[in-house]
Amino acid sequence: MLEELKEMMCNYIEAAPETITPESEFINDLGFNSFDFMCLLGEIEEKYGIHVNEEEIIGLSTVKDAMDYIEKLKKA
Amino acid sequence: MKEFTINGTVMKCYPLTAAQRLHFYTIKFAKPQVLNIGTGLYIKQEVDFDVLKQSVKEAIADFDSMRLRFIQDEDGTVYQYVIPFDEREVGFFDFSGWSESDAHEEMTKWTHKPLERLNSAMNRVVMIKYPGGYNGIYLKVDHMTMDSSSIIEFNKRVLELYCAKVYDYPQPKPLQSYIKAVERDLEYERKDNPSHINDEEFWKSQIEGSEPMYTDFTGPGRLLTQRRESGNPDLRSAVITSTTLDAAISVYHLEGEPSARLLDFCAENKVSMASLLLMGLRTVLSKFNNDEKDVSVKTNVARRGTLLEKHSGGTRIHFFPLRTILEPEQTFIEGIRTIQAEQNRIFRHANYDPIELNMKRAKYRKFTPGASYESISLTYQPLTLREKNTEMPDIDYKTFWYSNGVAAQPLYLTVMHRPEDNGLNFNFEYKKDVVSDSEMEFLYYYYCRVLFRGIEDKTRTIGQILEMI
Repeated sequence: MLEELKEMMCNYIEAAPETITPESEFINDLGFNSFDFMCLLGEIEEKYGIHVNEEEIIGLSTVKDAMDYIEKLKKA
Repeated sequence: MKEFTINGTVMKCYPLTAAQRLHFYTIKFAKPQVLNIGTGLYIKQEVDFDVLKQSVKEAIADFDSMRLRFIQDEDGTVYQYVIPFDEREVGFFDFSGWSESDAHEEMTKWTHKPLERLNSAMNRVVMIKYPGGYNGIYLKVDHMTMDSSSIIEFNKRVLELYCAKVYDYPQPKPLQSYIKAVERDLEYERKDNPSHINDEEFWKSQIEGSEPMYTDFTGPGRLLTQRRESGNPDLRSAVITSTTLDAAISVYHLEGEPSARLLDFCAENKVSMASLLLMGLRTVLSKFNNDEKDVSVKTNVARRGTLLEKHSGGTRIHFFPLRTILEPEQTFIEGIRTIQAEQNRIFRHANYDPIELNMKRAKYRKFTPGASYESISLTYQPLTLREKNTEMPDIDYKTFWYSNGVAAQPLYLTVMHRPEDNGLNFNFEYKKDVVSDSEMEFLYYYYCRVLFRGIEDKTRTIGQILEMI
């Protein structure tokens, strides 16, 4: 999933995929803003057939947080 | 898409996007210069104007939306296309010996002058020798071709090209295709596009929910008068159109240090600056309207998520109503988080045509023409010339936004960072027959009081803050 996420993220930010790690923070390290992040989530929803909740995603700081959240929704 | 033969060449021309049609709708009700945006960017150093001229020409060659043209078909429908080359001359004006206020007034006059829209460049660039040892460029664009993000990107590009020539700084990265971004937008607008269908359902549910409440930035007088005149004591919307469109801009400068405190608060609490500013504004409106809990404002969505959207220029802004219902017992930070979640919801449906949304809402609520629930539009512009990726030397800058003298709505607030110290400028563009400069000052004063009472103790309740200010 990390590689797929990296590919999607690189449509929004000017970062080389190899520099993105699970510990990377969306805002502080990768330069995402709220709008970028919501657009990315839209793509993630489509790709994994899940539905994210706007209140829950406010707490997602790192790429790993997002991966864990997606896994949780996929299992639900 | 439609093909036109222009100067002997067959050109692919595209319909206007929803963001452009939003402006097109505005000019039906206002003077033609209502869409002019005038800006000045001046650096405190001697400038080689031949090199600057070359940099401007190269920036125009790189930047598709500076070469955008409109054309009309036999039915009067407007289409757009990008010309491959634009060989126009770049103007020059020397303000040496002028006072800064006279120079400002002169360039404001330039901004008042309408631009031709059909088969013509919808922008003007003039190199400026500015008072006080500053030099740079004045840029006037038609808002249907570029928005503030595009303008900042263009100005940044001119500076980067100039610095690459003069100081051997790296050449700026290539830009993205404007037409590709337009094609994506038009693809979304197809009625059978799944994202479009999904967004339509979302906004329908918003319209058909409970009715919002109009809160005016001057207090409840407007709504109360219209309730009396209409004989409807339960009226919740108000007509906000007025007799004239004459406008002015009042700019208030929040110093670098307090601005940094607002930014630090956002970073520490993982909330966006836009949400903090919206929380402050809705609380001021609540205060001015007898502590009303149900407050709506218009919020701007820049719609620049992907790299294509960020670096293709053009005009992409959509405006949507943002409704907040907050109880006095809720804390300041809870209010911000509620607003952020609401903003996130809007972001996910922000490609929807705002004019269509307004028309559907007006029909559902049986609005009197010109009625609204929102008295203010708020735009937060986070971009500055000092973005961290910008390859430029440390130069002292001045930037200005000049009024076009006309406004289509009563009050349009833009909060943007100053490049010189990252402090915040609060630009209030207001209709002169609706409100005065001193009333803007009053509004700004209360706005700051709310923001700083809130951030000094985020657990303060909204009720406490309303009492304190």
